[in-house]
Amino acid sequence: MTAPSLDDRDWQMRSFIYEFFVEHERPPQYDELARHFGIAAAEARLAYRRLHDHHALFLTPGADRILMANPLSAAPTSYRVHVAGRSLWANCAWDSLGIPAMLHTDARIKATYAYGEGQASYAITSGTLHGDSGVVHFPLPFLQWYDDLVHT
Amino acid sequence: MLLFRSEEDVAAWCVATGEPHGESLPLDQVWELSRAWYGDRMDPDFRGRTTDAVMKIFANVGLTSAFRHAG
Repeated sequence: MTAPSLDDRDWQMRSFIYEFFVEHERPPQYDELARHFGIAAAEARLAYRRLHDHHALFLTPGADRILMANPLSAAPTSYRVHVAGRSLWANCAWDSLGIPAMLHTDARIKATYAYGEGQASYAITSGTLHGDSGVVHFPLPFLQWYDDLVHT
Repeated sequence: MLLFRSEEDVAAWCVATGEPHGESLPLDQVWELSRAWYGDRMDPDFRGRTTDAVMKIFANVGLTSAFRHAG
């Protein structure tokens, strides 16, 4: 069955989720979303599921908690991004640069190399990347990403 | 998507883990990709992206396998 399409209210909720996530360094619970929009918690919960079904965010499997709102991660990862006075987790190496790209601001990033020992430090300053070098591996074709998002 | 020191490390990791060897981009190209991909993510008018738009973004940064497979 096809998931119901997203309406403008859903997209407004998504915008609120992103702004809250950046501001508080964590995603909102659905009851916090409900309070902000003056709706019932059950309605907010359904909105979370609609946004998940449309890949606008990703819920923890089996729960109505936000795990990812790309490029942001609710769970600790190997990619820590310090930006605008806040510390945020990125989902992956690509997303570690996605956060300053999304926020249009400078950032300092600490990342762990996936093979061998060691950490990388790199930064964005006035739109320019500098710091340690590295390559990001894209293991799966784009169309398979949503089959197993945590894997990618 | 994981970070490696070099393409040689990617190859060694794929052998060690049995994971498929895809395509790698240096960090500076990933930064360009990030700006194209995430630059409008918090715009109030953001409504997602079509597959065609996604493929154009990948093509612009040289991530060719993405749309080889998607085609």
